[in-house]
Amino acid sequence: MTSSKRLFRFPRRETRDSAKHTFLGLTVPPLVLYMGFWTLFPMVWGFLLAFFDYSARRTGSTFLGLGEDNPFVALQNFGEMLNFAEDAPLIVRQFHISVKTTLLFAFLILPLNLLITLPLAALIESVHERVKGVFRTFFFLPVLAPSVGVAIMWGYLYHPQRGLLNAIIGAVAGKLTAINWTGDQSLVLMGIPVALIAVIVAYLWQDLGYNLVIFIAALQSIPESLREAARIDGASDWQVFWHVTLPLLRPTILLAAMLTMISSFQVFDIIQVLTNGGPNEQTRVMTIDIYNNAFRFQNMGWASAVSVVLFLLVLVISLVQNRLLKTEWEY
Amino acid sequence: MKQKLFLFLLLTALSLSACTGGATSTQETGGETAGESVTLRLWTHQNDAFNEGYQALIDAYMAENPNVKIELETFDYDTYIQTLQTALPAKTEADILQMFGSWVCSYAEGGNLAEVQATVMSLQEAQNAFFAPQIAGYTCNGKLYGLPQEFNIEYGAVLVNTALAEETGIANITGGWATWDDFIADAKALAVTQDGVMTRAGYNFTGSDGLTATFYSLILQNGGTYLTDEGFKVNTPEGKAALDLLKRFVDEGLVDPVLFNDDQNWVGDSYFEETSAIGLVGPWVVPEYGADYGDVLEVTQYVPLPSVGGNNSFVAASGWGLAVSVNSKAVEAAWDFVTYVTMNADNSVQWNLASGTLPALKANATGNAAASLTEAFPHFGPFLDILQYAQPEGAFPDRDLVWYDISYPRLLEFLQGNMTAEETLETLEREVSETLQ
Repeated sequence: MTSSKRLFRFPRRETRDSAKHTFLGLTVPPLVLYMGFWTLFPMVWGFLLAFFDYSARRTGSTFLGLGEDNPFVALQNFGEMLNFAEDAPLIVRQFHISVKTTLLFAFLILPLNLLITLPLAALIESVHERVKGVFRTFFFLPVLAPSVGVAIMWGYLYHPQRGLLNAIIGAVAGKLTAINWTGDQSLVLMGIPVALIAVIVAYLWQDLGYNLVIFIAALQSIPESLREAARIDGASDWQVFWHVTLPLLRPTILLAAMLTMISSFQVFDIIQVLTNGGPNEQTRVMTIDIYNNAFRFQNMGWASAVSVVLFLLVLVISLVQNRLLKTEWEY
Repeated sequence: MKQKLFLFLLLTALSLSACTGGATSTQETGGETAGESVTLRLWTHQNDAFNEGYQALIDAYMAENPNVKIELETFDYDTYIQTLQTALPAKTEADILQMFGSWVCSYAEGGNLAEVQATVMSLQEAQNAFFAPQIAGYTCNGKLYGLPQEFNIEYGAVLVNTALAEETGIANITGGWATWDDFIADAKALAVTQDGVMTRAGYNFTGSDGLTATFYSLILQNGGTYLTDEGFKVNTPEGKAALDLLKRFVDEGLVDPVLFNDDQNWVGDSYFEETSAIGLVGPWVVPEYGADYGDVLEVTQYVPLPSVGGNNSFVAASGWGLAVSVNSKAVEAAWDFVTYVTMNADNSVQWNLASGTLPALKANATGNAAASLTEAFPHFGPFLDILQYAQPEGAFPDRDLVWYDISYPRLLEFLQGNMTAEETLETLEREVSETLQ
């Protein structure tokens, strides 16, 4: 057989490079434009507005509406955030409340989520292959549900007179019960408002499946030989999980912790529908504060400054998490 | 390297021009008005009854003015607010904009709305023609920026379930109440509590609009005022008297404000589900719920509330109306249509009949217009009699912030027993005053 009869011939290197450049030339610029317009520009715009007293209702100068009636205020918005006096303006006090509530929400969600999903993933992984899929689907389904729908459903469960929760308590107590789980500001449990706990329960219910699937995938990727070796050395199931499985899951825990933390800092729709930040601002998180200032009261400059603070908070906490949980090895 | 730099600069320039283009573009609709064809765009929020009313008037106007074409564009409520907020600075809005009175000044002061020219109507003429709260919403710093079509009312009369009253043995509840004591006695009899849990409120007034309107109305009825030249003052004997009466409603067991408020058992839902026997909410709620709760509607009547010392004053927000964009290229034609809809008494009442709203024009609150409104909407009767007592809420820079984020939460906290009357009045005065600075 001669070379001329070969069915396939590799193109010359120059031709390959040229085709690659053409492909890149055709595909990259639209993507860059797309990203620039829909991601980069809004980010830069949002960051810029944090230094202006900007409201879309005011016309401002001809350059993007900045200046004149929407004046440059430098770091004034950030400076006001540091006013911790009792008679600080309402907008500042609401910001402080929202930061505190956001941190409380995120730092309660993170351990609760990991404490539930990790053992649950190990349990599901240990059951028979045939039912494993059923459990995975069962726990993952709420992730697919829209948050607004989840909030409405939990709103019905929590309803003081018609809710399932009070109906169960009433049946057990043998008398009519009408606890307003999401609307009674006087209800507090260990210093945490019950309304916030109610929101956390609803949020966890929806969010568990996501980390569960991540942990199941990670558990499946751990070589069985490592656990087998430990068992041969006489380790119990608990010791295998604690000393072998858990350390090997550390990179996955880091990933899950960061994703959970970031998403809990961004929580909005479930709170907006379930409590709208109430009662008496007990569930007012930073995203609700941003939304109210930006879109209800057209205080875009302040809302942007709060957004910058939220971004910095998430960034710092993610860096700390990364530092604490980072591993130098792979398996 | 130079090519890459050029490409980068080109992409950046393209991105920036794409981003900033909207801010300086001008609207292409409109045009000359003198006999030449004119196209006007009208933006409204989606409310079928409202928009059927607009469309009928648009058709009639276009038949009378063949050179004018009016295109009605509608948005769902939330989208409409956001579209206005972004389109006005970008100058891409329609020629004619449906506005709620309390929004007008924030847009007008931003330079986005056209002032009503004296040739169209003077402020004095408008004040004579329309009810005070209605025209006040469209007046900013002594200038008029639009014209109202309806009277938005949240106080003055209450929904009463006559069947429940009859069951409870209350005779002639529709005859009204001479005093607050009479009212409290009836409402107390209508409340139902089981195992310490209120299952039916006698008087549900703890929705945000109702509670806030009651508080400020009671200040007026007690002879006080809250917005003065010195600023916002509620920490006064009149403010205290208003709070005392509100607290009495709760203490006498008319309503449990923890279980009945905006978040749970909102007054409209609660009344038509019969978990409230008397409800404080405006007449707009009747067409909204009437179709689904026909049996409750049949036994429902609006009954005027008593007043303090015979003073019937109450506060009212403005209402829906029309304004013209300052960027419209056919401002004259736009105002011509707006006056056709709002100032012509026949057209104005036609829109009220179509939309099920109370009239903003004083002329339509009496005579044949009032008769036709009452015939179509029997529940309007008690309201038409009291419109004359309405006072403007006052020129707050951000009315929704004062009403819904300051006044309502503080008043509800007070009624729920989490704040004293003194703390409530002090907090209200301080927080509302901040918004005026």
